[in-house]
Amino acid sequence: MSDKPKFVYVTYIAAPPEKVWEALTKPDISEKYWFGYRVVADGKPGDQMTATSPAGKLSHRDPILVSDPPRRLVYGWKALDKLPDERASRVTFELAPFNGQTRLTVIHDDFDEGSKMFEMISKGWPAVLSSMKSFLETGRGLAPSWDDEATRCAAEAGA
Amino acid sequence: MSKPKFVYVTYVRTTPEKLWAALTDPQTIRKYWLGITAESDWKPGSPWTLKFEDGRTADTGEILEAVAPRRLVIRWRNEFRPELKAEGYSRCSMEIEMADYYPDRGGKAVKLTIHHELEGEVGSKFIEAVSVGWPKVLSNLKSLLETGDVAFAA
Repeated sequence: MSDKPKFVYVTYIAAPPEKVWEALTKPDISEKYWFGYRVVADGKPGDQMTATSPAGKLSHRDPILVSDPPRRLVYGWKALDKLPDERASRVTFELAPFNGQTRLTVIHDDFDEGSKMFEMISKGWPAVLSSMKSFLETGRGLAPSWDDEATRCAAEAGA
Repeated sequence: MSKPKFVYVTYVRTTPEKLWAALTDPQTIRKYWLGITAESDWKPGSPWTLKFEDGRTADTGEILEAVAPRRLVIRWRNEFRPELKAEGYSRCSMEIEMADYYPDRGGKAVKLTIHHELEGEVGSKFIEAVSVGWPKVLSNLKSLLETGDVAFAA
């Protein structure tokens, strides 16, 4: 076993995998739950994933490593605005049908020990993924804890 | 390696009071906890039991802290799988906080944080088991509070 930082989060969503895939890859959907960020991740391996802040600033531009819709999506992760000097880590989304719905597993790894980004994404992903589940199940995302600086930064790092 | 520990955070569009009620009302627990329900009077020092629908005991323990609607801590041991029971008691804390909402966006959310770890230093099977179970239970709980229905039945 390695002690290198690894974040794992599992959530079950009452929507088919195709809808969860769209929410992860299409900017018109991501901006409704991902704190206003437009995330484009519907390309092929070798294409870029990009995330643009509500202010129009490019915060991520990373290679798509695996794209197997609607099952598996892997891309690199480097925060251009928050932590430009920390090397890229890696995010894996695994979608599996479960009782007619979707089990979504998010694995964020390939960090160096002591990574600042790891601390930020560990707070950011639960907020983003909770909001995505709410959006897909109720049509409305969440807007949690933006007055709390730590959570706001983490949520922005999660985009 | 550090001691295995399960940590999970979820944000729910509800109030702390409704979330507390959902965590402590047996009839509500039954709806989202995959066919299991809990029995306790939720006072510090009181016994706590998880039971299957057929009445068999799943897990037992004791309420260590109960501060409605903010903090619930349970001393918790599995009873129906010998290899898990052998690892002894665990400690599970549930923290409820109101997340301030962003004025321009409306809406608000309640943050629920679960910490679950063994009291002893030896063993990992129990934490592996709850690491599978908690995401199901908490996903269902969130769906129930936000939509009136669970994400999936038992």
